[in-house]
Amino acid sequence: MASDQATCDGSLSSTDFQNAANAFAQKWNKFNSGFPEWSWIDCSNRLGFATHGVTEGYLSLQKVIFPRSMEEEHDKGSSNDQEEPFDTATLVQSTIDSDNGDRYDFHVVYSSSYRVPVLYFHAQTSDGQPLNIGEIEKNLPSKSSDVLMESKWTFITQQEHPYLNRPWYMLHPCGTSEWMKLLLADHAHNSTDRYLVSWFTVVGQVFGLKLPLEMLKS
Amino acid sequence: MASDSPIASRKVVVHLRATGDAPILKQAKFKIAGTDRFSKVIDFLCRQLHRETLFVYVNSAFSPSPDELVNDLYDNFGFDGKLVVNYACSMAWG
Repeated sequence: MASDQATCDGSLSSTDFQNAANAFAQKWNKFNSGFPEWSWIDCSNRLGFATHGVTEGYLSLQKVIFPRSMEEEHDKGSSNDQEEPFDTATLVQSTIDSDNGDRYDFHVVYSSSYRVPVLYFHAQTSDGQPLNIGEIEKNLPSKSSDVLMESKWTFITQQEHPYLNRPWYMLHPCGTSEWMKLLLADHAHNSTDRYLVSWFTVVGQVFGLKLPLEMLKS
Repeated sequence: MASDSPIASRKVVVHLRATGDAPILKQAKFKIAGTDRFSKVIDFLCRQLHRETLFVYVNSAFSPSPDELVNDLYDNFGFDGKLVVNYACSMAWG
């Protein structure tokens, strides 16, 4: 498909977004079995009619559990890194069946102004109280909260969710095409399929979420 | 591709490759214990370049998590006896 050309500048067309989303969800669900699955939420008919015949929607991953004390545990663990059995599984936190963990919902929504995917997220406590940015910060790896401190509103910002019309947090997309251009530089031929995989390795780090290495091999 | 099982004492040659406007290092290759985490590579680069943050990526395809083991990255993405790590000064955010 000629549409792959669009990704040379690190951006993505809205049609390619859906293709990239499908490719990503399939790979994720194959390599991360046992973890919550990404699913495509179709919003084509949200206005009662299909817009321009284009399928509209977003990817959704629900109820990822972050234990409250994640940062402390992380710090404790780093002192004896070498002895930790290495676990290739990702999303370790979601396997913890903890009553007092915070629940995160992640949506990958296409931004037509930036022509890139944007990660929206919403967090709540186990009893349904939404978390504010200060509380969310406590769940993030220390590196992410450092960045958050330095550039509070360009990094994570609150904005109306384009499909839910409620305020959600989002990672600001203004730098996305710049670093995606680097990640796609040597792979122009099938970049749509790999786009969201490469993209997630960067945005996932904000939350300490990583992809299994097998999923990253081309 | 079958990968060798990691050897505890193995050293991995990391080849640091500047992209974009990032300065080139005098010493672009260095050895690191395979049992080290990728964060060590990131920290080394940040120290050398006097920067708080860098965009560090492997295989021109993805940005490894800092807690990834160098051995695992090498086994999956190394070739020619080394692991090529690209770095750029662009800020990921804002």
